[in-house]
Amino acid sequence: MSSDMAETATAAPTELPPPEGNAWRIVLRVLFGRPATIFATILVALFILIAIFAPVLAPYDPLQQSALDINQDPSSAHWLGTDQFGRDIISRLIYGSRNSMIFGLLSPTLSAIFGTALGVIAGYFGGWTDRVLSRVIDMLLAFPELLLAILIAAVLGGGFWNVVFVITVAFIPGFARVARAATLAVKEEPYVEAAIAVGVRTPVIILRHVVPNIFPSVLVLLTLWTASAIRLEASLSFLGLGTQPPNPSWGNIIRDGLNNLFGSPWPIVGAGVAITIAVLAFNLIGDAVRDELDPELAE
Amino acid sequence: MLRLIGRRLLDAVPTVFFVLLLVFISLRILPGDPAEVALGDTATQDQLNTLREQLGLNAPLWQQFFTFVWDMLRLNFGKSLINGIPVNDLIAQNLPYTIELTLVATFIGVLVGVPMGVFAARNRGRLPDSAARLYSLVGYAIPDFYLGALLLIVFALNLQWFPINGGGDGFLDGLYHVILPAITLAALKSAFMGRLTRTALLDTLGKDYVRTARAKGASEARVIYRHGLRNALLPLTTGLGLSILSTLSGAVAVELVFNRPGIGSLLINSIAQRDYPVIQAGVVIFAFFVVVINLVIDLVYLAIDPRIRVK
Amino acid sequence: MSELLRVEGLSVEFGPKARPIRVVDDVSFAIPAGGAVGIVGESGSGKSITSLSILRLVPEPPGRIVAGRIMFEGRNLLELSKSALPAFRGRDVAMIFQEPMSSLNPVMTIGDQIGEAIKLHEPLSAAERRERVIELLRLVGMPDPASRIGAYPHQFSGGMRQRVMIAMAVACNPKLLIADEPTTALDVTIQAQVLELMKSVRQRLGTAVLLISHDLGIVAETCERVIVMYAGKVLEQGDVRSIFRRPAHPYTRGLLQSIPRLDDDRRRLFQIAGTVPMAGSVKRGCPFYARCPLRIEKCAAEMPPMFRYGADHVAACWVTAGETGAPVASAGAAA
Repeated sequence: MSSDMAETATAAPTELPPPEGNAWRIVLRVLFGRPATIFATILVALFILIAIFAPVLAPYDPLQQSALDINQDPSSAHWLGTDQFGRDIISRLIYGSRNSMIFGLLSPTLSAIFGTALGVIAGYFGGWTDRVLSRVIDMLLAFPELLLAILIAAVLGGGFWNVVFVITVAFIPGFARVARAATLAVKEEPYVEAAIAVGVRTPVIILRHVVPNIFPSVLVLLTLWTASAIRLEASLSFLGLGTQPPNPSWGNIIRDGLNNLFGSPWPIVGAGVAITIAVLAFNLIGDAVRDELDPELAE
Repeated sequence: MLRLIGRRLLDAVPTVFFVLLLVFISLRILPGDPAEVALGDTATQDQLNTLREQLGLNAPLWQQFFTFVWDMLRLNFGKSLINGIPVNDLIAQNLPYTIELTLVATFIGVLVGVPMGVFAARNRGRLPDSAARLYSLVGYAIPDFYLGALLLIVFALNLQWFPINGGGDGFLDGLYHVILPAITLAALKSAFMGRLTRTALLDTLGKDYVRTARAKGASEARVIYRHGLRNALLPLTTGLGLSILSTLSGAVAVELVFNRPGIGSLLINSIAQRDYPVIQAGVVIFAFFVVVINLVIDLVYLAIDPRIRVK
Repeated sequence: MSELLRVEGLSVEFGPKARPIRVVDDVSFAIPAGGAVGIVGESGSGKSITSLSILRLVPEPPGRIVAGRIMFEGRNLLELSKSALPAFRGRDVAMIFQEPMSSLNPVMTIGDQIGEAIKLHEPLSAAERRERVIELLRLVGMPDPASRIGAYPHQFSGGMRQRVMIAMAVACNPKLLIADEPTTALDVTIQAQVLELMKSVRQRLGTAVLLISHDLGIVAETCERVIVMYAGKVLEQGDVRSIFRRPAHPYTRGLLQSIPRLDDDRRRLFQIAGTVPMAGSVKRGCPFYARCPLRIEKCAAEMPPMFRYGADHVAACWVTAGETGAPVASAGAAA
């Protein structure tokens, strides 16, 4: 949601203190620190496992229709029943998790890479580069993510790579803004000035000094926006702008379900619960990462 | 002060221009020929050429762009490729429904969310606060179309308290039709506004001037409202602007769920039908809304923060 | 001189009830009517919390007032109900704080803020209030008060803002003005002006002043009595001149020695060895034990009571009590 993007972006930290302990201890502390987070971690792990092992776990082919078995209630043969085309709902949900996990994890990572690059360039080089880039970033940020995604998808249509592109682009401005602010702060640090004075070349300075220091801020955003990305993909698929039918995505399962209201509510309920729990779980982990790396933003 | 307003207005111009440029470029890189789409497979080459001439597709690109911008600014959106109805008519029919939905949802969302946030802040760490936090967490996670579908199933389908679809005619009927969709959007909105209010209020209540107010002998209520909330209005206003924008984008999905007329459903349907003039109009209108709402929020902020207003 | 305020055995704790941190421990002192008393100490000495306790402004979680009485005009302020507090605050006892910028509400005009202080306690008409506000601004030395009344805090300099705070505090003619580090955030020259202002206000209105500061010089200049605090306890208190001329406690001696002097030809500035202990870490004995050049074993085992060193001069030290040959007759709490 543009709302939480702005919430974190406007409160952009300048430079975060490095967390204590080595990487492993930090990860463990984050993932297993609080009871809520332990629960969320387990859920996320489950989702990822389900996505990976979908072909093994799904009892039926998600695309297979059967005119005889339409709109069946949940039974031992079909745990959540079937939809109006006779397709097994559970299998569709299981395969749908693949889309959510891929888009949720892949796109924000790409956004992080491109957005951070943009932000670092703008922040480090300043001048006209900065002014132009900042202007563009601000203009894009004025749009709520969903709207931006819809507008781009309106033009491009659906399909796997288009969706990856759309979701990636939707989050780039947010990363860019934070990366730029963090870069500006790091640029002022004495050790950077010293490196420049000694004659270290620019790309080296950026890679060895700037990037490691802005990494925590970017990581916080990445984990927080994974949940948003899952939600975004679901919304786009629901609108018909994301994963195209008959490929199952939790979003378009709900869309099909709406066209079949009188037939069976189970697709809607099942897919909706899946989305809600997935977003919730990723959100909780994102909160934990944020609390660990940037206590000032925590509540 | 007037200068500041003028600056903000001027700032909006490049955004509008940029958006139009993006829309133009993206629509032109689309595969497929609008003329073919409109006339179908059986059209002759002559018919296609005539239509292309009409649509101005043979002119050089830059000329097309300027015609495009000029058309957009004059709100000349052309005609629908599917049924020939002037796009402006389509918009005039649908826009009021979207605006109605957004306004009602915002109203309810703020009415529920802000007091909830104040309540949570005043009872920090205790049960009401945890309950509010749970409400926010779930509110963020539930997709609006899912919530809408649930409400539709329970209240419209099963209990039959509300209509299943449509926008309604006339004021009261319209209200009757807007309630479920508005509540769907308002739920999310109130979760966000509640969180924001709580955070903003706790933040201001921790400030030194609140301590001064208490030292002067202000009652707890006065401290919370006159000093705390009044100062929290600044971040709240910005948050409200963002929230309205989110509600607007959420309206697209919700209109679909409830089969409700509006710019959102108009846009989605036209995308499915590849009705370019309508797609174009829809995209441009949404973009305009975004620019306008951002502008209004900026101006409101100017008005309520004396630090900017009075040098 | 009659006694205006008496603090007896005040103790304040922070943190979880199971393992509390005592930041103010058994503090007692008195303020005479119209008098000027200073509390001096480093950061962490508990002086600010002590002053906040008088108006019950200590944030209740995480803090707790766990013992003591604060007697004002025959009433124990610590027993006032929560609903009775707003009526009391700002009227008979008022307080100003360290950071004038953040202590003033940025979206209210200074006229409204000072007016609020009046409105909360006195039923005046809007016009009368306005007159009163202008009068107060004139009292604190603001040039052209009538035209500045509609201005916002960010339009003033730090010194001016502190004057506004003082105007707000004395709006209802309080009997006691508590000033918590009022000049710490200001330039030295402005400091002098503000202190001058406080002195003149004292004279004009007969207000007693409780000044909290880490700066001995300021306290020496403006106060008649001084209380020296360290790690939550009062180590020495009494008449200012007596304490400065013949400091009884090793800590006070150290503080006075630390003030650089122009006629000193030592190469290095004097420093009390060691650092202030963390709040609540000293469970038994004198908190200054670890850094005290005169310490003996008894000091670590048992906190000394107050010993008398002069007509209005007491200090809590086992060693110097014997040293100066002062009669080992404890005076319990304040002088």
